[in-house]
Amino acid sequence: MIALVAVLFWAGVHNLRHRRALSQVPHITLIPASAAADNSGPPDAEGSNLRGKDAPAFTLTDVSGKKVSLADFKGHPVVVNFWATWCGPCKLEMPWFQEFSAKYKGQGLEVLGLSQDDGASRQDVADAAKKLGVSYTILMPDEAVAKKYGGVDYLPETFYVDRSGKVVEVTAGAPSKDQMEALIQKTIAAGGA
Amino acid sequence: MKRRVFASLVLTLPLIAAAQIQLGGLDRTTEVKKQHVELLTDSLQLTANKPQDVELRFRVEPGFHINSHTPKDELLIPTELKLDAGPLRIADEQYPPGSHFRLQVGSGEDLDVYQGEFRVALRIEAPKGGSTLSGSLRYQACDNAACFPARTLPVKISVTAK
Repeated sequence: MIALVAVLFWAGVHNLRHRRALSQVPHITLIPASAAADNSGPPDAEGSNLRGKDAPAFTLTDVSGKKVSLADFKGHPVVVNFWATWCGPCKLEMPWFQEFSAKYKGQGLEVLGLSQDDGASRQDVADAAKKLGVSYTILMPDEAVAKKYGGVDYLPETFYVDRSGKVVEVTAGAPSKDQMEALIQKTIAAGGA
Repeated sequence: MKRRVFASLVLTLPLIAAAQIQLGGLDRTTEVKKQHVELLTDSLQLTANKPQDVELRFRVEPGFHINSHTPKDELLIPTELKLDAGPLRIADEQYPPGSHFRLQVGSGEDLDVYQGEFRVALRIEAPKGGSTLSGSLRYQACDNAACFPARTLPVKISVTAK
């Protein structure tokens, strides 16, 4: 009985310490200068825990209803960008992804825009993407996928995945265009040629 | 007998302590999403059976903005108050105009938002006695670089009419 109590107590203390330690780890790899100047700290995004790990697999449908899997892009550097039609900063950075997807196409770059517009129709999402001049793959939402990526409760949130399928960097909030390009270059350079 | 009671206490107390520490983890799983708007009005004093103008005061968390009731872009989520009047009669509901906010990302975007304190005006009539005005405020908050999904803030205001 005493041993059982002792083990339970030790496990509880260990669990509590672990949770406290995790809560003190900064969750954001990159805080945009504009946001850092005005806000008290990083938001509650937990996706940065994926850095250095395999990007969680997913299969979603695009705006035309076609199934698209992350695995389809094996061997390519991939930008997995969570966005929403109601998110102003998302829409401002998406044309940059469009520009870079063309600029680095020769190096295999793929950009996937994962809409977080729960309840929106494919047409609504497609129209919004078209209005932004985006022609890269736009995928419809699935809460289970967002959960795999840490909940994605702060948009935009972007995961830079190298050719080997590992998450190189995670950003929450819109970076500057230069920061975005630097992250794309880093992703292309990582994971072997 | 006393020894048994003492032994039971010695064995039980650490068990309770361990259980409490373990249960600390459960609190996190049931944690509600953080709100970025708070309701400042908690009660209203009215004259019974007479239509009166009142204001419900809300405050947006510093560093954040929420879309006004009439945002510039149809894709943006407007701030919207939904009230269950109960025995009260709500004759009118007026949202304040938003203020201009320039989103400083890339080429930027002009938005119509609420920041700091904002007030929704109501014309309301209450029967004599106490009642509760309840409902919710739906809003979608952003800071300078990112946005949170829409949240729903519960609204509960005690109304006393004499």
